Amino acid sequence: MSGSKPDILWSPHHPDRYVICDSELGLYRIGPVGSSETKPKETAATLLAINSDTPYMKCVAWYPKHEPECLLAVGQANGRVVLTSLGQSHNSTYKDLVGKEFVPKHARQCNTLAWNPVDSNLLAAGLDKHRADFSVLIWDISSKFSPEASVASEKSRFSAVELDSSTVVTKPLYELGQNDACLSLCWLLRDPKLLLAGMHRNLAIFDLRNTSQKTFVNTKAIQGVTVDPHFHDRVASFFEGQVAIWDLRKFEKPVLTLNEQPKPLTKVAWCPTRNGLLATLTRDSNIIRLYDMQHTPTPIGDETEPTIIERSVQPCESQIGSFAWHPSSQNRMVVVSAANRVMTDFTVFERISLAWSSTSSLMWACGRHLYDCAEDGAEGVQGAIEKDIATKMRQRAQSSYGHDTVQVWRNHLLAGGNDSQLKCLWYDLFYMKLCAEDPELKLQGNKQSLVHSGIKNIVKTSSGTTESRRCWSGSDRQTDVPRYHSEERCLALRLCGWISRGPDIDVEVFLRSLEHEREWERAAAVALFNLDIRRAIQILNKGATAEKGDLNLNVVAMALSGYTDEKSSLWREMCSSLRLQLKNPYLCVMFAFLTSEPGAYDGVLFESSVAVRDRVAFACMFLSDAQLPRYIDKLTNEMKEVGNLEGILLTGLTKDGVDLMESYVDLTGDVQTASFCMLKGSPGDVLKDPRVQCWIENYRNLLDAWRFWHKRAEFDIHRGKLDPSSKPLAQVFVSCNFCGKSISYSCSAMPHQGRGFSQYGVSGSPTKSKVTSCPGCRKPLPRCALCLMNMGTPVSNCPGTGKSDEKVDLTRENKLAQFNNWFTWCHNCRHGGHAGHMLSWFRDHTECPVSACTCKCMQLDTTGNLVPSDSS
Amino acid sequence: MFVARSIAADHKDLIHDVSYDFHGRRMATCSSDQSVKVWDKSENGEWHCTASWKTHSGSVWRVTWAHPEFGQVLASCSFDRTAAVWEEIVGESNDKQRGLSHWIKRTTLVDSRTSVTDVKFAPKHMGLMLTTCSADGVVRIYEAPDVMNLSQWSLQHEISCKLSCSCISWNPSSSRAHPPMFAVGSDDSNVTYGGKVQIYEYNENTRKYSKAETLMTVTDAVHDIAFAPNLGRSFHVLAIATKDVRIFKLVPMRKESTSTGPTKLEVQIVAQFDNHNSQVWRVSWNITSTLLASSGDDGCVRLWKANYMDNWKCTGILKGDGSPLTGSSGQPTAMSTVVGSSVQTSQSTLNGIKKCQTLC
Repeated sequence: MSGSKPDILWSPHHPDRYVICDSELGLYRIGPVGSSETKPKETAATLLAINSDTPYMKCVAWYPKHEPECLLAVGQANGRVVLTSLGQSHNSTYKDLVGKEFVPKHARQCNTLAWNPVDSNLLAAGLDKHRADFSVLIWDISSKFSPEASVASEKSRFSAVELDSSTVVTKPLYELGQNDACLSLCWLLRDPKLLLAGMHRNLAIFDLRNTSQKTFVNTKAIQGVTVDPHFHDRVASFFEGQVAIWDLRKFEKPVLTLNEQPKPLTKVAWCPTRNGLLATLTRDSNIIRLYDMQHTPTPIGDETEPTIIERSVQPCESQIGSFAWHPSSQNRMVVVSAANRVMTDFTVFERISLAWSSTSSLMWACGRHLYDCAEDGAEGVQGAIEKDIATKMRQRAQSSYGHDTVQVWRNHLLAGGNDSQLKCLWYDLFYMKLCAEDPELKLQGNKQSLVHSGIKNIVKTSSGTTESRRCWSGSDRQTDVPRYHSEERCLALRLCGWISRGPDIDVEVFLRSLEHEREWERAAAVALFNLDIRRAIQILNKGATAEKGDLNLNVVAMALSGYTDEKSSLWREMCSSLRLQLKNPYLCVMFAFLTSEPGAYDGVLFESSVAVRDRVAFACMFLSDAQLPRYIDKLTNEMKEVGNLEGILLTGLTKDGVDLMESYVDLTGDVQTASFCMLKGSPGDVLKDPRVQCWIENYRNLLDAWRFWHKRAEFDIHRGKLDPSSKPLAQVFVSCNFCGKSISYSCSAMPHQGRGFSQYGVSGSPTKSKVTSCPGCRKPLPRCALCLMNMGTPVSNCPGTGKSDEKVDLTRENKLAQFNNWFTWCHNCRHGGHAGHMLSWFRDHTECPVSACTCKCMQLDTTGNLVPSDSS
Repeated sequence: MFVARSIAADHKDLIHDVSYDFHGRRMATCSSDQSVKVWDKSENGEWHCTASWKTHSGSVWRVTWAHPEFGQVLASCSFDRTAAVWEEIVGESNDKQRGLSHWIKRTTLVDSRTSVTDVKFAPKHMGLMLTTCSADGVVRIYEAPDVMNLSQWSLQHEISCKLSCSCISWNPSSSRAHPPMFAVGSDDSNVTYGGKVQIYEYNENTRKYSKAETLMTVTDAVHDIAFAPNLGRSFHVLAIATKDVRIFKLVPMRKESTSTGPTKLEVQIVAQFDNHNSQVWRVSWNITSTLLASSGDDGCVRLWKANYMDNWKCTGILKGDGSPLTGSSGQPTAMSTVVGSSVQTSQSTLNGIKKCQTLC
C-alpha cells in the first residue's frame, strides 16, 4: 500500500466501524439508512473522526485486542512506527501508548506492520533494505522508556523530527533479517511465535524462540503474505499478477498458482467468514476476482487438486482503490474507489442454485440459506407471472375448462373469458357441433362429414353457385353488388355463426344477439354487409343512446345515411380517405365496403383487426368462385403461420387444423386447449395424429404433476367418451387360489373384464347373486383379515363410522358402501380384506391386522400418502 | 405480489444444489458439508426437513429425484469421485411418527476417476436410467434393469466428451418422433477449444449415442445447462448458463424415415442476455418452459419470459438474500458521496413486475 492510494481497515471489534487511510486517517461508522423498517437494506457511512497527526504514512495496522479500542500503528516513510488513536477521548489508562514512537536505527521506508494476534504487545514492522541493519523489527509496545534506551535516543537526534524522548522507543525486542528487505509480514495463526515474512526473493518463517534460524523458500511471490483464517497452514502471496498458494506443511513449492492476471495485483485477502474464498484486486480495475477453493488440499492425497472456481464481481463502476472483508458479517466487504474515495458496501453472494417446482414456485439456495419464492394468495408466484400459461392452465383445469360438451362456447368463459382467441375457438367448435347435429344436414349425407373439415374444404366443394343482385333494403334502387349463393356457402355462413338453421338467410337473430352484447359496430357492419343500411343506421343510433351519447356512432350513422353509389361523388372521395382515421375496425370496413368496386374488397378482407369469422362470412357472400378459395387459402396459411386459433374455422379439425394447433402450442405451450379442441374432432381422425397424442399425454402429465388426479381422471373419462380407443384395459385380475381362473370372469355376464371386478361383491342388488366362492370351482374365496368373513359378503358397518350419517346422506353412503365391499390387499404381505375394514384399521394402526405380520402396509407407498390437490 | 421466504436450511456449509420432486412436494438439498437433506412440504406450505444424512466424503455437487413411479429415489454426486443412489424405506423403525424418514444407499457408482460434477435421471419413458458426467470429460449412462432392485446398475454407455464436463441435461420430450437426446456442458475456460456444449443423440440402429451437434458459438465455460420441458412442441429449447444467459432453439429437420444418421438439428439462438454482468451459475425452466430463472455472480436471480413474438425479456429480479431490489439495473452498485459525507449503499430494485404485465 502506498500513501497515495487509500486503504481500508475494519475495526476488529466494532462491526460497524472502519478506517480509511490515505494521507490521513478517517474513522467511519456504517449503519442502515433511515428507519430500519424500510426493506432495502441501504447503508450509509458517517465520518466519526479524522486523524492527520501522522504524515508520510506507509502502512497501518489495527490493534487486535478489545482494549484499548481504536489504537492504530502507523508505519511511516522514514521507518518510524507511531501509535495513534482515533475518536477517543484520551483516557488515562492508555494515554501513554498513544503517541508512542518506535524508531529504527537507520531511517528507511516501513513497508508493512503486523500485530501479533495472541501476544498483542508485539508489533512486527517490515522495512526496506539497509546494509547494516535488520529489516524485520519486532517492537514491544509496552516497553517503557528505559535506561538502555537512552543510548538509542541519542541516535534519534539524527532524525529530522525531535520528539519527547519519553515516548520514543528505539530498542526492538527482536531484530531479524539482516541486510535484506521485507515487503510483507504476517503472524502464523497455528503458532503465535512464528512470523512469516516476504523478504527480498524469498519467503521466510522466523521463530521467535530461536531467532538465529529461519525456514525459507526462494520465490518471487513475496508480496502480501496472508494466512487463511480457516485453514492455518494455507498461505497466499503474490508477485505481479500471479497468486501463489502455499501449504506450510510442505513449504518447498506453492501447492497452487492461480491464473495470471494481466495487471499487477495490489491486494489479496482471505474471506474471514467463509472457507477458502480468496479475493484479489489488480491495479486500475473495477473488478474483484474471487477464487473459491472448495477443498482444503490434503498432503496425503496425491493428486487431489482442489477445485477452484474463479469468479469476478464488480462492486462499483469506478476503479477500485482497495477493499476489506468485514470481519464477521458474512461475505461482506467495503470497497473504496481509487479516485475520489467513493465507498461501497458490498456483499459477495454465493453461487445461487435454483429450481422451479411443478406448481410454479421458485426455490433457491444462496450460501447456507434457502429461499422459497412461493405462491402468495391467489396469484401465481408473483404478479409478474400471473399470466404465465402454467398458472392459467392450472386455474382452468380447476374450473373444468373444456368439459362443457353441450354449450361448447361456454368453455371460453371457464377459461376466464378474457382471451379472444379462445373465445373464437370455442364458438367455432360450438357452431360445428350445431351443424353436425342438425338433422336436415344429416339427410344430405356428404355435407355431414364436411362440417369438421373446415371452411377451406367446404368452399372447395362448392358447386352450383348462383349470383344475385339484391336491392338495398328499404329502397328499390338496384345495387351493382353481386352476391353469391350456394349450399356450401350457406353452410360456411352457419359455421361463421351469422345465420342459423333454415333455408332463408336471415341475420336478424345474429344482429339481435350482437346488440345484446353491445357490439354495436360489429352489428352495424353485419347489417350493412347484408345490404340493410337502414338497419345499420338504426343499430348505430341505438348504440349511441345506450353508450350515453357516443358521438362517434351518431356521426358514423349520419355519414352512412348519405351513401350514394355515384362513382365520383364527394361523399365517396371523403369516405375512402377519412375512413382510415376511424379507430374501430368495423366502422372502418363499413366504409371500405361502400366505397369499393364490386369484387375488389381488399379493404375489408385484409383488415386484420376484424374477426376472421366476419371476414370469412363476408368473403362467402361477396367473392366469386374464383376469388373465394384463393382468399381462404391465403388466410388459412396466414393463420397457420402465426398459430392463430381463429383459423380453426378455416382448417376445421383436419390435418391442417393440427398444423395450426402445432404452431399455437409451439408459441404458447397451451396443450390443454389443444387436447380439448382436438378431442372434439368428430370421427377421431385427427386423434390418431402422433402430435395430438403427444399433447394429450403431456397435458395428462401436467395434471399428474400438479396432483390434479381427479381432474386427470375426469379428463380420461371425457376422452374415453370422445375417443373410445383410448380406454385402458383392466390392470389387475384376481384368480382363484384353487382353480386359477379369474374370479371376476364368470361372475359377471358382461364381457368387459375391467368393470366386472368393480361390480363383483356388490350385494343387495337383486339381479346379482351373492358370491362367496369361486365361480369356477366353487371353493370359498379368502377371508377378510378383519371380519374373518369370506370375501363377497356384504361389509358390515365399520365400528368407526357413525350410523346417523348413513341416514343423512344415503346416496353418498351407498356409493361408498360399494367401495367398502371391494377387495384390497397389500402387495407386500398379501394380506387384505374389505376395503372399508382395511381403511378403518389403518386409521389407528400402522401394522397389518394379521397377527405376527409386521408389514407397514399403508406406509409402503409414499405417493399414496400424497393428497390430491384438487379433491373437492 | 410474491414473497421470498427464508428457510432455515441448517446446512453447515454451502448448499450446491436444490431439487424438487415430480409433484413439487418434496425437495432435496446437498452441500459442501457432505450431506443431503430431504424436505417435505406440509399442508400449510411449510417446509420440514425429514431426513439429513452424510452421503459422501466430499462436497456433494448435485442431487436429483427419480420419477415417483420408481419409488422415492434420489441420486447424488460428489467431489469424492462417486455418485450414489438412495431410496427411502419404511418399515422397521418408527421414524415416520417422529416426522423423519429413513434413506438407505442402494448403490455407489465408482467408475469415475475424477470429481462427478452432475447426475441426472433420464426421462421416465426410457426406464430407470441414470447419467453422470465427470471432470475428466466422461458421460456415463447406467441402467437399473430391475426397477424393484436398485442395487443393480449396469453401465450401458460411456461417452468421452474430451472436455471437462460440468453439467448435463436430458431432453425431456417423450414424443416418439424425438430419439433420446442429452446435452452436456463443459466448464473448460480455454476458449480455443471451441464449442462447450455438445448434444448427443441415441441411434436406434447402432444402439449408441453419437454427437448430433456442437454449439460452436458457446466458447466460454458453461456452468449449467437445461432443456426446457417439451410439452408437445415441435422443437427443443436449451438454456445455457455461461458468461451470459443463452437460449437456443433446436429444430429437428424432418428427415426421411429411411435415413439412419443422427437427426439434423437446426440451431437458432433465441436470446442472449448479459444482464447478470458476470458469470451465470444456474438456469432452470418452469413446468411449461415459459419462464426461465437464472442466477449469476451479481447475486441476483432473474426471471425471463417470452412474449407471443418469441421475444425474451427480463420480467423480474430478485436479490439472492431474498430482499427486493431497487433501481433499474439490478447491479448492486452503490453510488456514494465523496469523503466526509455519508456513504450510500444500495440496492436497487426490481422493475420487473410492471413491465411484465404489459408483456403478456
